[in-house]
Amino acid sequence: MTPEVEGYGCTVDELMVVAFSRAMDNDTRAFNGAVSFIPVCGYLLARRTHAPNLVWAASSIAIDANPPAIPESTLSDALWDGASMLATSPYDFWSYASGARYNTFAFRGAQMDAFGNVNNTVIGPYEKPKVRLPGGGGMADLGSMIPKIYLWNTTHNPRTFVEQLDFRSGIGWGDGGDHRERLGLPGGPQLCITNLCVFDFHPESRRMRVASLHPGVTIGEVQESTGFEVLVPDGEIPTTERPTEEELRILREEVDPTSARLREF
Amino acid sequence: MDKRVGIEQAVESIPDGATVALGGLSMNSAPMAYVREIVRQEKRDLTVVAIVAGMSVDWLIAGGCVKKVVSGLISFEGLGLAPTFRMGVQTGTVAVEEYSEDLLICRLRAQAWNLPFVPTKAGLGTDLIPLHEQAGTIRAEVDPATGEHYVACTRLPVDVALVHAHSADELGNVRVDPKLIWMDNEIVNAAERTFASVERYVDHADVVAEPHRTTYPQFMVSGVSLAEFGAYPSSCFPEYSHHTEFFQAYSAAASAPEEFAAFFASRVVGPETWVDFIQSCGGDEMVASLRRPSV
Repeated sequence: MTPEVEGYGCTVDELMVVAFSRAMDNDTRAFNGAVSFIPVCGYLLARRTHAPNLVWAASSIAIDANPPAIPESTLSDALWDGASMLATSPYDFWSYASGARYNTFAFRGAQMDAFGNVNNTVIGPYEKPKVRLPGGGGMADLGSMIPKIYLWNTTHNPRTFVEQLDFRSGIGWGDGGDHRERLGLPGGPQLCITNLCVFDFHPESRRMRVASLHPGVTIGEVQESTGFEVLVPDGEIPTTERPTEEELRILREEVDPTSARLREF
Repeated sequence: MDKRVGIEQAVESIPDGATVALGGLSMNSAPMAYVREIVRQEKRDLTVVAIVAGMSVDWLIAGGCVKKVVSGLISFEGLGLAPTFRMGVQTGTVAVEEYSEDLLICRLRAQAWNLPFVPTKAGLGTDLIPLHEQAGTIRAEVDPATGEHYVACTRLPVDVALVHAHSADELGNVRVDPKLIWMDNEIVNAAERTFASVERYVDHADVVAEPHRTTYPQFMVSGVSLAEFGAYPSSCFPEYSHHTEFFQAYSAAASAPEEFAAFFASRVVGPETWVDFIQSCGGDEMVASLRRPSV
C-alpha cells in the first residue's frame, strides 16, 4: 500500500494519477512505453472524465484501446482490447511521433535532473556500471520529437533527483534555457509529478519549480528529498488539488480495478 | 526450393562471432526456439542486435554466447530487470552498445537501403551522441542547406536475423498474422540471411490464394522452421500471451547464482527438442492457459 494522502480519502498513487489526468486535455494525443502505469491510468481517467476526445495508443500500438483492466506490462497485448487500430512501429508509429501528430509522452527514469533530463541507462560509469539499467529505449527519440513531455517518479529522493545524471538517456530541457530551441526540438517537459509534489519548469531557466505540494508535505521535505536546488513560485505554494469522488471511483473501479499502478511503488 | 529447415540446422549455420539480430519487442514475439538452440549449440562471441528485448537476450548471455549487445532496452518490464544481462554488464563480461529505438531503426534502414546514413532527430542532446562519437556509428550534424540539426545513423550490418511468425509455406513465404506490429521487418531487411520460426506450415497454394497476407517474401528468407509455441515464454499476438510464471521463476532463480546455473541447465538448456521444452514447462495445460480466445 502507498501512503494515505492527509485528509483526501485517497492514497498517493491515486493523487498522482489524478494530477496527471488533469494535465491532459481533449487535444492530447498520447501513447505509452514500458512500465508506465501512472500515465496509462492518467490517460484512461482523463478520457472518462474531462477529455473524452483524448487519443491514446496503448503500448504505442493499440489506438483508442479500452482495456477492462491494466495488466502487469504496459507493453502487453492485454492492454489492447477495444482498439480501433493496431498501428505498426515501422510504418505508422514513427511517422505519427516524428511529425508531432502524437503530441504527448511521459517518461520516468532511475535518475532525473533539474532540467527534466532522464537516465535509465546506468548508475555509475557507462563502461563499468554499478547498476546496469534497462536502457533508454525510446526516451532519446521521443524526448526529442514530442512537444509535451510529462515526467513522473514514485521515489522522490536525492538518489533519484540528482544534480548530475550518470547518463543522459532522454532529453528534457537539455542544458536549460533555449537549448531545445537551438537544437530545433519542439516544446519540452511540462510537469514532473512525484509522490511528494508536482513540479513545473521555470519559463526561462527551465529548471524544476514546485507547482504544488501534496497535502502534508512541506517545501523543506521536498528540498531535502531533492539533490538539486528546488525553485519555488512567488507567494504561497499551492496544495495539489483534491481528487473528486467521481475521479477516484472511476480510477478504482473502471480504469485500474486490480491496482496495477502499485507496481511502480 | 524447399526452405523448411529444422531449428537445429538453421542455428548450425550461424558461425561464432556472427552479428545476430533478434525480432520481437519486450515480452512479445521473440524467436525463443532459435535462441534456446543457440545456447544449446554453445555459440560464442555473438554480437546481438535487439531493439527492445528481454528474455531472449538474457538466455543468450546466460548461455555464455554473447560478446556485445546492441540495443535500446533490455528488461522484463513490470516483472523487473533482466538479471543475467544486468550482471553480465556490471561484471564486464558483456559490452552494451546502447542506442535508442529510432537510432537503431535508422541504422538498420541505412543498411537495408544501402545509404551512408539515415537522418533522424532522435537522440539530439543526449549522451548517446558522445557515446558513439569515437566509433562514428551515429553523428550529430547540421544540414548545410536548412541549418537543421539531425543525427546521421550509419549502416548496421547484420549477418542473421531471427524472427518468429505465424506461418510459412515450403518456399519460405512468411506470414505474420494479422499483420506485423513489431519492428521485425527492419532487421529482416537489413540482414544477410533471415530465419523465421513459425507456428505452422501452410501450403504454397494458400499463400497464392491470399498473397496480401505475406509479410516476408521467399527471396528474403533463408529458412523457415516449425516451432509451435516458438515465442514462449514471450507472447505471440494474437494467439498466446507471455507466461508470467516462467518470468517470475527465472528471476527468482537468478537471485541466487548457484541455483540459477542449475535452473538454467535443467529448465532451459536441458530438454532435447523444442517440443520437449514446451512439455517440460507445463505442456498442454500451460499452452491452453496462455491461448487467447481466437480473434
